[in-house]
Amino acid sequence: MVDHYVSNARAAARARRREAGDVASFVRRLDWLLIGAVGGVVGYGLWAIEGITRHDIAGDQSYYLTRQIVFVLVGSVGLLAAMLVDPEFYRTRWRLIFGGTASVIALVLLTGPIRGSKRWLDLGFFRFQPSEFGKVLFVLALAGFLAERSRRLSEVRTTLTAVGLASIPIFLVFLQPDFGSALVYCAAIAAVLFVAGTPWSHIGVLTAGALGIAVLVLGVLPGIGMPLLKKYQEDRLTGFLHPDSDPGGTTYNITQSKNAIGSGQFHGRGVDNATQTTLNFLPEHHTDFVFASLAEERGFVGTAFLLMLYLLVVWRGLRIVALARDSFSAIVAGGLVFALLFQVFVNVGMTMGIAPITGIPLPFVSVGGSSMIANLFAVGLLLSIQVRSRRR
Amino acid sequence: MGKRVASRRFLPPDPRAEEPYRLTPKLALRVGLLGMLAIAVFATLFLRLWSLQILNGEQLLRAAQNNQLRDVRVQAPRGPILDRNGQKLVTNVPGLAVQVRITDLPKRRGLRLREIRALARLVQVPVSQLGNTLRRHRNDPLTPVKVKENVTPGLAFYVQERAEDFPGVQIVRSYLRYYPHRELAAHVLGYVSEISGAQLKALGKQGYRGGDTIGQTGIESRYDQYLRGAPGLAQLRVDSLGRPIGQVTTKTPPHSGNAVRLTLDVKVQKAAEDALRYGIDRAQHSGCSGCWYSNGGAIVALDPRDGSIRALASLPTYRPSLYVGRVRRSALDAAGLTPRSARSMNYPALDRAIQAAYPPGSTFKPVTALAAMQEHILQPFESLPCTGTYVKNGQTFKNWDPFVNEAMTLPTALARSCDTYFYQVGYRFYGMPADRGPRLQAWASRFGFGHTTGVDLGSESPGLLPTPDWRKKTFTKKTDPGHWQIDRLWKPGDSIQLAIGQKDLLVTPMQMARFYALIANGGKLVTPHLLEDVEQPSSNGEPGRVVPTAPPPAPEPTNIDAQALAVVREGLYEATHSALGTSAAIFGSFPVPISGKTGTAEKSIDPGDGYPRNFNQSWWCGYGPSDSPDLVVCALIENGGHGGDAAAPAALKVFEAFFGKQATQTGPIHSD
Repeated sequence: MVDHYVSNARAAARARRREAGDVASFVRRLDWLLIGAVGGVVGYGLWAIEGITRHDIAGDQSYYLTRQIVFVLVGSVGLLAAMLVDPEFYRTRWRLIFGGTASVIALVLLTGPIRGSKRWLDLGFFRFQPSEFGKVLFVLALAGFLAERSRRLSEVRTTLTAVGLASIPIFLVFLQPDFGSALVYCAAIAAVLFVAGTPWSHIGVLTAGALGIAVLVLGVLPGIGMPLLKKYQEDRLTGFLHPDSDPGGTTYNITQSKNAIGSGQFHGRGVDNATQTTLNFLPEHHTDFVFASLAEERGFVGTAFLLMLYLLVVWRGLRIVALARDSFSAIVAGGLVFALLFQVFVNVGMTMGIAPITGIPLPFVSVGGSSMIANLFAVGLLLSIQVRSRRR
Repeated sequence: MGKRVASRRFLPPDPRAEEPYRLTPKLALRVGLLGMLAIAVFATLFLRLWSLQILNGEQLLRAAQNNQLRDVRVQAPRGPILDRNGQKLVTNVPGLAVQVRITDLPKRRGLRLREIRALARLVQVPVSQLGNTLRRHRNDPLTPVKVKENVTPGLAFYVQERAEDFPGVQIVRSYLRYYPHRELAAHVLGYVSEISGAQLKALGKQGYRGGDTIGQTGIESRYDQYLRGAPGLAQLRVDSLGRPIGQVTTKTPPHSGNAVRLTLDVKVQKAAEDALRYGIDRAQHSGCSGCWYSNGGAIVALDPRDGSIRALASLPTYRPSLYVGRVRRSALDAAGLTPRSARSMNYPALDRAIQAAYPPGSTFKPVTALAAMQEHILQPFESLPCTGTYVKNGQTFKNWDPFVNEAMTLPTALARSCDTYFYQVGYRFYGMPADRGPRLQAWASRFGFGHTTGVDLGSESPGLLPTPDWRKKTFTKKTDPGHWQIDRLWKPGDSIQLAIGQKDLLVTPMQMARFYALIANGGKLVTPHLLEDVEQPSSNGEPGRVVPTAPPPAPEPTNIDAQALAVVREGLYEATHSALGTSAAIFGSFPVPISGKTGTAEKSIDPGDGYPRNFNQSWWCGYGPSDSPDLVVCALIENGGHGGDAAAPAALKVFEAFFGKQATQTGPIHSD
């Protein structure tokens, strides 16, 4: 008995030690460069927000900063949680994830509009934007579908089903109307199909189809008097193609944004001299146009540093795609990284006049709880995939 | 056991995971492609960023700065107007004005209307009027619109405190014209007001901008270029909603306008205006026929040697201060300054000294006398009968004094203003060969009649010097269908009546004064003028200086025979000193010898009852001292009766003020 007891105690102690070793090895195996890069972007973003919003709310210089810090903390918890959950958990439940995401987004459509669009669910303490979380969950769901059919990828039916599934949430966010998120969803489905291994022929046809739809929506349909998009959406999408057409109206934002970026020059104008931001010439300077404000206040030095951090995040993300343990993980990682890259490009490009104006926030920097929490959750997913990847 | 241990591992891999999985070359290729895409994306962003921030940074920085800076014109204090002794006729008082910058008003209609309504309540201007003011300036949205002048500092402070509620509204310093002598010399000085659209169109090239004040009449208008100064430039920072932030910073300070010194003498000017009132009052109480309707007049007093105007009075007049600040239409109406009310107040805006033309009557006789002697159709001491009537071709021309019947020489005829004497001279002019042209009119024209005098004071009437050509041109089948065939001819009666300054002839008091200056200075035609000089005020340690200006035209010799002139001067002296001289009773006892001629001119006037009839215009023109004249005075009292009744006593008042001496007594008046 005693002996048994002793041996039991020893086994338990051994198990505890091994467990401790496991935790240590888990932590050691984590991609600390990726964590550092994301931490860098988030920290840098907080510092930027502090300067950008200092003069926004009279009497409360840190109104937005405080909120953003709370979002970061909540998001960090999400990151940790996502990191601890095995991706397999999502793979087996992709149908539930898909259905849940789609229904929550649909639910938004039933609520009252805020600022002209129905994007938010008001939870009282927090205004929740499902389409931001949808960007992540949607990738998970489609990856689950494609992983399930990994042996039948070359069938047209598989690709068409995937596109069909994807079009449901895309259509729902489009109705909100949240054109930016719809675009991000499109980019994500493209990346998911691409990484999953969909044949080039299918990808070619889909690309051609997407281009055809773009031409139809922006060119042909308005031309024959059946516009699908609202006029302002159309103007924003095409405004960057002819920037000087109407500096007071349609292209006011982009003109002011370019002025802000340019006026930062190499070193930036500092917080107190950044007139474009502090005097409110630059609209939405803490959300969609945060990059332009950053450029004005911190100059080329500040923006280049941020872009380098993003590049680092993307590089580590792509590395995870290559190292992923199974096809589901690889597809998820690919979709998330590409969605991130797409959002950075469209947002930054928009402020500089080389991309259409769509309401896409700058990941990790723009003030906004849903976006911050969803993006940190996505990073948690990447880490979860990475830490469970094949050993080299 | 193994399974148990595995289950106790920290976060074991899910057994359902489909391991092993290898990185296929296919996936490696795709990940590589994604990596290249990422590099391309970031390269694009970097290049664009470089282009915007480094290559075009300067330009975009300027654009950003221009965004928030608004140029504000800083009004320069307008120069003062002084009399010849430096007494201030017009100065400024500083004030605060409320301006609206249309581009910075809220873009949304509702908000804009609400702000305009609040502003209207604040500055106590009717909303409709404020709206109209802003609408008028809609085509020029960059120029601020002045909506209220001379607001209290309290109101200005209130608006500045609540800049948040009043985007686009700003408080600026302004200067308001101040008239220490009230209506004194109102017609000379003129008034200022905001530049009109038409003026802006005409003067935009000279640096005028919308919202500037500009002289509208008189000296204010004529010498606006000296008075206005140069506005300064200041900059104001605004936010994206046009709300001012911080202080206005001055870029270039404004330069005050220059002082304009006039030849006018406040003392003489005051005397002239008082004299006019006195003359009108005398006429109204004289009981002469029609004199009850006496209600206006003009006095011109000038230096015969160079044409410097010492006094220029016109009645009725107005207070130029009515145009200061926000002009109230009702006030203008009450003062007779609008077309609607002008007639009932007998046209107070009209400067009768230069803009109104009257028949000169007997004051014109020296013209006839000089012309006749120059043309050798009259010997200076030739005796002609002066009778009660003069009959020519069956037409009877009356003398003003029907009981006279004696032979007169020219000086006596002038002194006693014998009409019949001059009828005969006029008929002699009619008898002159037609190929030499109308000689009397030629001389009259040389003496300055029939055209403007060139006085530096806005629009001027040329009067009317009738000639045979003028008759032919004026009376045609169209204009005079009933009698054109007769009216177009120059008849003996025209010459006869012209000789005594009647019928069609019209002159302005200024023309008349100029002609008497010619008699006084020995035959030179002066250009009457008001500008003495323009003086730049001392500023920033720089001493004041006289700004060079074009000198007035030099007196023009008319080559009149000195003896002829002497005869006329003798006649004019006798008129004021001989026992039967027409104004001897007025000037005889004045210590300074004065020479001058009365005039009683008939003019057909409708006094408002719908029956036009002849009223006597009372004239007196002359100069003193008689032998070396320092001052010419020409007085006209509308409907004042005989020259000796109203105009001569008024003119005496001016001489009294000028020479500082009083006439001791006045006797019975015997005048035309």
